[in-house]
Amino acid sequence: MFAAVEFPPIENIVEWPTWFGSGALAFNKIAFMGFIAFILPVLLFLIASSKYKTRLVPKGIQNVVESSVDFVEKQIILPTIGPDGMGYLPLLLSMFLFIFIGNLFEIIPTAHMPANARMANPLVLALITYVVFIGAGLKHNGPKYFVSALFPPGVPKALYVLVTPIELISTFLVRPFSLAVRLFANMLAGHILLITFSVLTISLVGGGILAIISPFSFGMLVAFTGFEFMVAFLQAYIFTLLTGVYIGGAIHPAH
Amino acid sequence: MLATLSALLAEAAEKKETVNPVLPTTNEIVYGAIFFVLLLIFMWAVCLPPIKKAMRQRDEQVQADLEAAERANAEAEQVRRDYDATLAEARAEAARIVEEARHAADVRRGELIGAVETEVAAKRQAALAELEAQRAAALGDLRDEVAGIAAQAASQVVQQPLDAAAQRSVVDEYVNQAIAAR
Repeated sequence: MFAAVEFPPIENIVEWPTWFGSGALAFNKIAFMGFIAFILPVLLFLIASSKYKTRLVPKGIQNVVESSVDFVEKQIILPTIGPDGMGYLPLLLSMFLFIFIGNLFEIIPTAHMPANARMANPLVLALITYVVFIGAGLKHNGPKYFVSALFPPGVPKALYVLVTPIELISTFLVRPFSLAVRLFANMLAGHILLITFSVLTISLVGGGILAIISPFSFGMLVAFTGFEFMVAFLQAYIFTLLTGVYIGGAIHPAH
Repeated sequence: MLATLSALLAEAAEKKETVNPVLPTTNEIVYGAIFFVLLLIFMWAVCLPPIKKAMRQRDEQVQADLEAAERANAEAEQVRRDYDATLAEARAEAARIVEEARHAADVRRGELIGAVETEVAAKRQAALAELEAQRAAALGDLRDEVAGIAAQAASQVVQQPLDAAAQRSVVDEYVNQAIAAR
């Protein structure tokens, strides 16, 4: 039955042709999504800012913008870093919006490819997180940050033989990769899932008697599209939340 | 679906040399870093400050309005308390006035009733005195007439005139005795 199904080659799913430029500056679909993920929040915030001159009560775009700011402040910064973490709002808000908008391309018609289903953006963001949380730890605690990170207070000294190598690996080696891979893998899996049901639906429609079950496959495609919208938001939230947790842990190592 | 995924994996394995879906490409890293850093700079320097300022202004405005509303509420409550106190005082004053008026009316009514009773008693006394006088006069007239009739009847019986004055005294004495005996 599925012999007729022609799944697209892997390079069609994850690799995109260059639109212009070459080498390290070759501009393709993923770069374009990065550009949209940069310019869209900037435009929304600028439009919202311009409306405050005539109206202090938020409406329309102002509500969207303020909701995103409020969400990052109250749901990410306050629970993970605390009130003294408000200085990280630009970073965490940018991170959340950049990932969320990049993810949303997965379900936007004609795009159908999340920017974060490629490893580049998650890796860049994870490395920035890595640098920022180590920098925050050094800024607030000085060199003692490394001591408290590798030798957590309250642990019996004999256990440092086990704990310190684990902390070294988990905190300073694995964290950036786990962050990047979590986002990348989830978005790539969702992307492949949607492609699978799309291909299946098309194949069933042209599959003779099997066409009668194509609505079920199409229904699953629609359902997974809604599910992927939730995943897009959730992965942006998780990435930003973990960044907040890492920064909070670096600032307050005793906690 | 499993066959599809198997085909996908097999295809990926075949093209491993040319395409690795996991490894990032340099151009995507460069553009990702550029656009994210640009977004961060814009957010930090241009986009967020006016939004935060407006939100802070609104929060302050809301706080000020809330405080003003609380103050106005407290003032209204004080006005209501004052009004209630004034109303209570007015009610007490009205009750006092009504009580005084009622007391005065009672006193006045007592006075009027006393005066009327006194007047009625005086009139009654006068009427009784007049009645007694008229009765005494009638009794005197009756006594004279009875004495005259008795003297005339007695003179008829004895066939000679009797002393009218003596007869009158006899009759008077008899009448007086009768009255006394009654």
